[in-house]
Amino acid sequence: MNTALPEMLQCSDLTVLERQRARLKWQEEQFQQQQQQSYFSELSCGVFSSQTNHVQGFQGGFMGGASGDSVLSDMVMARQVKPDPGLESPWPELGKVDMAAMGFGPCGYGNGPSFDMNHAISRTSSCPPAVAATKAVEVKGTSEKMASAVGKESFKKRKAEKLQNSKVVAEDDSKRIKACEDEGEESKITGPNTNKSSNNKKEASGDASKENSKVSEVQKPDFIHVRARRGQATDSHSLAERVRREKISERMKYLQDLVPGCNKITGKAGMLDEIINYVQSLQRQVEFLSMKLATVNPRLDFNIDNLYAKEVFSSCTTNFPTLGMAPEMVNPPYLQFNPIQQVVPCGGVEMGINSPDMTLRRTISAPVSIPDASFLDSSCLTMHQCSAMQQIQPTATWDVELQNLYNVAFDQGRSTPPFPSQPFAGAIGASDLKEI
Amino acid sequence: MNNPHHLNPTSLKSRFTTRFLRALTKIRAQKPISSSSPTEIFRRYRRIKVAADKSMAYSVRSRRIWSRAMLWKLRSRSYRRQDPCSGRRSGKTNQAIMKKSSNGNITRRREDGVGFVEEADELRQLVPGGETMNLCNLLDETAHYIKCLTTQVQVMKKIADFYSF
Repeated sequence: MNTALPEMLQCSDLTVLERQRARLKWQEEQFQQQQQQSYFSELSCGVFSSQTNHVQGFQGGFMGGASGDSVLSDMVMARQVKPDPGLESPWPELGKVDMAAMGFGPCGYGNGPSFDMNHAISRTSSCPPAVAATKAVEVKGTSEKMASAVGKESFKKRKAEKLQNSKVVAEDDSKRIKACEDEGEESKITGPNTNKSSNNKKEASGDASKENSKVSEVQKPDFIHVRARRGQATDSHSLAERVRREKISERMKYLQDLVPGCNKITGKAGMLDEIINYVQSLQRQVEFLSMKLATVNPRLDFNIDNLYAKEVFSSCTTNFPTLGMAPEMVNPPYLQFNPIQQVVPCGGVEMGINSPDMTLRRTISAPVSIPDASFLDSSCLTMHQCSAMQQIQPTATWDVELQNLYNVAFDQGRSTPPFPSQPFAGAIGASDLKEI
Repeated sequence: MNNPHHLNPTSLKSRFTTRFLRALTKIRAQKPISSSSPTEIFRRYRRIKVAADKSMAYSVRSRRIWSRAMLWKLRSRSYRRQDPCSGRRSGKTNQAIMKKSSNGNITRRREDGVGFVEEADELRQLVPGGETMNLCNLLDETAHYIKCLTTQVQVMKKIADFYSF
């Protein structure tokens, strides 16, 4: 009997479920031999009456105790650590019962196998979910001891891994635990693959600790293993060369995407020339723009505070003409005397901002005001401002209002020439500068 | 149209914008704009250009070779300005170190086996700190540098447009 099961398990022709059932039957026999029939019958009744999922879950319970392997003890621990997430929608009630089971486990029994029996039993029996997470932790500790204390079965490592494998498949918490994940993937593969590949994978995984290290190895390889392609030189130098060349071509492709107009050029040398030209043009553009900024006359101040109060940008490129209103709005007396409502729309017109209220309050408080940064990208807003902004009307509304108000403002003849005259700018500039 | 609510205040663009605007404010505060003699403008232009490069380099911190090289260059230049003697000393020692390393690389003629030596050298001169990079790193740094330059140009363009229409 003991030998029949392993052989069956090794036959991957069986579906996972069949393997589960076979194992279950085998376990039955095992436990019957240990003269715990009464519990087991109760258990089996409970189990087999439930869905197949429960069967698999039950399997898990057995697995925990049946093997003295550290592998399975880890699995048990893992399961205990996350019983709830592990037991997902198919069997939600089992999750709670599981916790209860863990709590009840150590209470009544001290043996390894009996612990597992209780574990399984509590699943089917209705236990008050009195146990807290602390219990589970206790259980975890005790189960560890029990698992090691359990008499070593005649399992080979491979068998244990397979059991573990199917256990992982049975449980849905494979996603949660990395080792399980690794095993889960393997077990999925065992279906379609042949025996050999599955065996190889199982051999490769080894112990739980080894599995973890393997997973980590897979994820963080110390070396980059390169295979020599067919018909190519295989000495280390050319391999390294090839790796380098591939890296370089990969980066060239990325650069090709970055640099506009590089798609037509195919040669690497031509590409590099294009890149050089592009970088040079960008640098020249920066110089030109800084020269422009040096000469421009700031009607408005670069006040950082207002910078944060504004959003605008790409949505408001059409509203630039309205910015001519800005200096007018900046006029401190104008701001102070006008009621907020009146000014608000103007502020909105001026900036096309989402939060004219905020803007204007700020402008009134700091006469140096002007939402300089209004033109800036919304990216200049700080987090805190962002949250504030989000409370305010959406841009769409503002755009419409903006246009309306702009027209209204002009109709009322309040508009000074959109491009303020020098004295005005000078006055504002001077006052602003003093404020800084 | 971008949704203004979806902002990333920690993006490169926002970091650069904040710093650059601060620098601009400082520069404008130093002198009134009304004076428009060419020398003044030229001086301001130089300052603004340095401010732009500096804010970009600071926004990238030391995560990139080119930003580190640029920061080092800026710092050594500012030290030289403030205290000519010490600046010269530190500048010299640093330059010596840099040249040594770069010479060590260059004397090997950088025959990486890929055959783009001339273009690669030209690119190295463009990208700050490029002399000490092999081709692979150079391409990496170039990509990031291009990205930062485009951000810089975008922001500066917008600022200039805002103020000068």
